[in-house]
Amino acid sequence: MNSKAIEIQDLHKDFGDIHAVQGVSLEVQTGEIFSLLGPNGAGKSTTISMLACLLEPTAGDARVMGHSVQREPMAVKRTIGVVPQEIALYGDLSARENLTFWAKMYGLSGAELAQRVDEVLDVIGLVDRQKGRVDTYSGGMKRRLNIGIALLHRPQILILDEPTVGIDPQSRRNILDTVKEFNRQGMTVLYTTHYMEEAQELSDRIAIMDQGRIIANGSHDELVKIVGELDRVDLTLNAPAERVTAAWQAIEGVHQITTNNGTLALLADDSNQVLPRLFESANQNHVRITSVDIQEPNLEAVFLHLTGRALRD
Amino acid sequence: MKALHIAFKDLLRFFKTPFVLIMMFGAPLLITGLLYFAFGSLTGGGDLDLQAVRVQVANLDQPGAQGDGFAAGEMLVEFLQSEDLGDLLEVTLAGDEAAARQAVQEQQADIALIIPPDFTAAALAPGRETTVVQYEDPTLTIGPGIVEDLVSQFIDGFSGAKIAADVASRQLEAGDSVAREAAMEYAAWLESSGHDHEGGTTSALNTRSPAPGGESAAEGASTIGAIMIAMTIFFAFFMGANSAESIIREDEAGTLERLFTTPTPQAIILGGKFLTVVLTLVVQVVVLLLASGLAFGINWGQPLTVVLVTAGLIVVAAGFGVLLMSFVKNTRQTGPVMGGVLTLTGMLGGLFTSGVPNMPEALDTVRLTMPQGWAMYGWELALQGNGVSDVLLPVGVMLGLGALFFAVGVVLFRKRFA
Repeated sequence: MNSKAIEIQDLHKDFGDIHAVQGVSLEVQTGEIFSLLGPNGAGKSTTISMLACLLEPTAGDARVMGHSVQREPMAVKRTIGVVPQEIALYGDLSARENLTFWAKMYGLSGAELAQRVDEVLDVIGLVDRQKGRVDTYSGGMKRRLNIGIALLHRPQILILDEPTVGIDPQSRRNILDTVKEFNRQGMTVLYTTHYMEEAQELSDRIAIMDQGRIIANGSHDELVKIVGELDRVDLTLNAPAERVTAAWQAIEGVHQITTNNGTLALLADDSNQVLPRLFESANQNHVRITSVDIQEPNLEAVFLHLTGRALRD
Repeated sequence: MKALHIAFKDLLRFFKTPFVLIMMFGAPLLITGLLYFAFGSLTGGGDLDLQAVRVQVANLDQPGAQGDGFAAGEMLVEFLQSEDLGDLLEVTLAGDEAAARQAVQEQQADIALIIPPDFTAAALAPGRETTVVQYEDPTLTIGPGIVEDLVSQFIDGFSGAKIAADVASRQLEAGDSVAREAAMEYAAWLESSGHDHEGGTTSALNTRSPAPGGESAAEGASTIGAIMIAMTIFFAFFMGANSAESIIREDEAGTLERLFTTPTPQAIILGGKFLTVVLTLVVQVVVLLLASGLAFGINWGQPLTVVLVTAGLIVVAAGFGVLLMSFVKNTRQTGPVMGGVLTLTGMLGGLFTSGVPNMPEALDTVRLTMPQGWAMYGWELALQGNGVSDVLLPVGVMLGLGALFFAVGVVLFRKRFA
């Protein structure tokens, strides 16, 4: 369980003048769930595309189950199952027809093919609707089928690129549970998301990406330690934040203040001690605090601490 | 093998899409079918269905003894009542002129034909004339003309014989017995020839419908064949582009990228997509040729020639489609590009003027600047029944152009997805 499933070394990808990935290095251990967490445009999907041999790195290399993505792409592709961010299915075919076709593309045939299609239909809960046109499925059903295709050839590594974007909470819950189940069965999972909660719930280890770089990497507890015991406090005001930010930065125990769309976020040593002083200062500046949200140290706070921006900015 | 799986998957998707089925098979057969029925069967298999003209004949002819039993009026009646004219005329006899006219007025007959009392005498005597009177329903257009032509033809025969005999008798100074002899000879010939179709002699009046497979039918089949093949070529080029467009549709849907994540070389994936284009056209063209051959009775030509021009058409249409789509960036562009380019090149290639007579000869040269024109040229040769050696040039050009288009298209697509 300690061997490296994925080993990325100083990976770069440029699109003209845009440096989408800039020197990413990381390791994913066999059997773990590893998440790449970062805002949109952080370079997660580009990194995934290079691991799936869809994009050629500008520099650096990555090895998947010991195979170089540059020199042995076919060997890499045999070991991975990729779930793309967008639903990539043939809507005019049925679930069974889709699975059968993709199974052939993974080299399956005959009885083995039929058996795997049946198994996957069972896993993704589409046995009853297997003959219906995919166009007629709900969004959640399509997402499940989208994942099911990547499981057909029993890949050693499952790569999921933001699989929960734009779906309802129930389907999201279903997908997260499914991913955990695959991992329990021994599958290594590389998961990208910009939802902190998903990374926190699923992952053994997390790499936080921003602007093409890994800015932090480790287990959830290790990452949280980066921000120490700081609480994150989100406040909404009835007036522009600029009227209080200077005064609040002078308050003892307040470390970092950022504003976003009328919401003000700050990191504090102890929110219980800091909050009364914030209210007092707001009164003195004729500003009303209309809502307060206190969060224990988490990945959101880590990202804020490391980048000065909220994860979903 | 994976390339075949990709192609079969695409074919399965095509056959589940009503629009594609309409453009593949429905539209070309429908357009040709409309032309076929609009122009009353160009193959000659659907003759104009005329109702028989009802003719009341009042035969007032009084031949007398001068003709040795010869009665021209009686012969005219028998001629009009002959079996050969049975489909055209429904002849009944009236007792007198008034009864015949009355029948027309009461619309129990379309035409009343009054044979005058001196009809036989006029037929036999040189220089003597008489008049056969025809009353007709003024609302009729075709029927009276038919009867008039038939009676005129009958009478002209006597007139010609009389003139010839008159000249001969004057030369021989042998009186009118020669004229009578000639008239009776003509009458005997007319009677015998008018009833002797089965004997193989030429009929005085050929009123039979053109026989299937005859010259007229062959011309008709050739015309409808030219129209049908023009439609087949146009829609084959359309389907070539449409099936090549599936590469772009898959790219936009994300399934092409997903295919690239499977352990399948890119060359095989693109090869499968190109195979889709070829297989689609094979199915389309073969079905259209068979279906239209059965529906419209078209003889496409010698089998080997047809196989060659079919292969040429498929290759050039597939190559053109791949080339065309290799320039298109997304599916928003495909509609205008396909509609515009294929319509323009189809027009210049002569697809919309096939079967139209008296087109300027310059167009024959212009059309050969287009791949569709070469396809049309090859098929015209096949339809004319030419052999393999006659179609080698157009087939060679089609295969060459197809290969060239295909090669350029493949290079551009591979560059795009590299």
